[in-house]
Amino acid sequence: MGTETKSQTTTAQKFQALILDIFFGIYFVVTLHRVFYYQVLLSLRKLPPVTVEIVLLYIGIGTILGLALFFLNASPGKLIFRQLPDVPWKKAVAEHFLWIIGVLTIATGWVVTRVSILDFFSQEGLAGAKRIFSALLSPEWSILPQALLAIVETIYLALMATLFALPVAFILSFFTARNLMRQSPITLGIYTVLRVLVNFTRSIEPLIWAIIFTVWVGIGPFAGTLALMVHTIASLTKLYSEQIENVDPGPIEAIEATGAHPMQVIWFAVVPQIVLPFLSFTIYRWDINVRMATIIGLVGGGGIGTLLMQYQGLAQWHEVGLLVLIIAIVVWIMDYLSARIREALV
Amino acid sequence: MALIELRKLNKIYPNGVHALVDVDLTVQEGEFLVVIGLSGSGKSTLLRCINRLIEPTSGQILYRGQDVTHIQGKELRQYRKKIGMIFQQFNLIKRRTVLLNVLTGALGSLPVLPSILERFPDNLRQEAMEKLRIVGLEDKWNVRVDALSGGQQQRVAIARSLMQHPEVLLADEPVASLDPATSHSVMKYLKQLNTDYGMTIICNLHFLSLVRTYGTRVVALKQGKLIFRGKPEEITQEWFKEIYGEEAEEVEIA
Repeated sequence: MGTETKSQTTTAQKFQALILDIFFGIYFVVTLHRVFYYQVLLSLRKLPPVTVEIVLLYIGIGTILGLALFFLNASPGKLIFRQLPDVPWKKAVAEHFLWIIGVLTIATGWVVTRVSILDFFSQEGLAGAKRIFSALLSPEWSILPQALLAIVETIYLALMATLFALPVAFILSFFTARNLMRQSPITLGIYTVLRVLVNFTRSIEPLIWAIIFTVWVGIGPFAGTLALMVHTIASLTKLYSEQIENVDPGPIEAIEATGAHPMQVIWFAVVPQIVLPFLSFTIYRWDINVRMATIIGLVGGGGIGTLLMQYQGLAQWHEVGLLVLIIAIVVWIMDYLSARIREALV
Repeated sequence: MALIELRKLNKIYPNGVHALVDVDLTVQEGEFLVVIGLSGSGKSTLLRCINRLIEPTSGQILYRGQDVTHIQGKELRQYRKKIGMIFQQFNLIKRRTVLLNVLTGALGSLPVLPSILERFPDNLRQEAMEKLRIVGLEDKWNVRVDALSGGQQQRVAIARSLMQHPEVLLADEPVASLDPATSHSVMKYLKQLNTDYGMTIICNLHFLSLVRTYGTRVVALKQGKLIFRGKPEEITQEWFKEIYGEEAEEVEIA
């Protein structure tokens, strides 16, 4: 049986290596032609359009290149999976191919993000930077009351989002913990569906959620609270359930052996092990939420971010300077406090 | 009628390890049965199959003639109540008091909601104190268990299992993480339960000297197979080499 599973994994790995080789081949052809040839060698500002024919040509040449490398055993894919036969020159080809791919990737990154040393150090640019920094460093104190009111709104927004999310995440986390849910196919099904849902929700940034909720409930702090809450539920559920998955299984066995009901097992064997880490995660999340709440305001989620957006739109940099200063101080205090509280807990 | 009867019991783990191979074993009421064997020989799996913490892959488990191999839910919990268990790592609730830990032994006979609210009836609390007296820890009832020594924690675990009024006590390497002196004290409590209360004990052990002192019968597992059944004094040098391998040397525990 052992040899069977071994040969199965090698076939699977061979297939993965082949896919990787074809991908490398196509990637190599595309970046070589469009980035290295057009933009580095010819320095074209405007690229020729991408047609169906040229795409097919890229795929065709790339695939042939990938297949050739794979079957000649000079395959970078096999090199990655440590399956390359020990022929020095073939190994060298695969290695050098990977190096070229790496260099091409950095060149592509440079071109795509339009890195420009010239812009960074231009006369005009430096003057602008000087203007904005000097304005930021001489904040306008007259709007202090307004700013403080806004930051208080932000802190409460973050607090409410965390508090609302807490019970939901607490309950969800038990259903998304693998060690508790693998008993039967039904529970495993619930686990899988919830896990996918939670991961999907978490992968959408709070900023996007804020845009969605400003359309739903209108611009203001409530939209911001909802956005943060949804994201907090997803991320706390994940953190909590990982903690549940890491509990010591010993007490679970012991309580099960007494003939206890599954609810009693969770309450007496799992919950005591997770209360403190849960509390610590929650405080940490509140701290993160205060930081995120300032950003959420930028899209109309209320609080100090909205104020920041208004002054920035009017180019009133002295006022912006004050707001940035207040945000920095509050975030620093929250960060410090949450760290101290968490230290005390664990 | 035998108390426990295992028929052709097999356990194959998902990773392919064949932990029990056609194990046939009969346990009589009142025995102090010791299971020996190397680490990984299947001792823990055998014990956990008896109270169904682990599901056997095939074979049968009979308890007083009743087939308990596939019972589920309430029936399984009723069955587990009759079988106490203690562990190498004690498996107590670390941040809670000794008394609460002992009370958890009675969870099987308590309704779910009141027990979760930790409303234990007074007579149960008194009983828990009595069990603590048996293991000599009544003055520690209000101490957090993580403040106790290993030997004391194991005695709390014994008191907890006594709350089940068990007919059988399963002990999975109960003294493997204790020093020699403490080991004897814990083993003596097990022996006392066996002789004074007639409780059937099934105990996994490492040290042969302990086996000879406390066991009334011994079985040995090797790579999941039962290769020896007999009296403790029947384990000769040859059997010892057979069970533990040619390289093994017997160590005495004081």
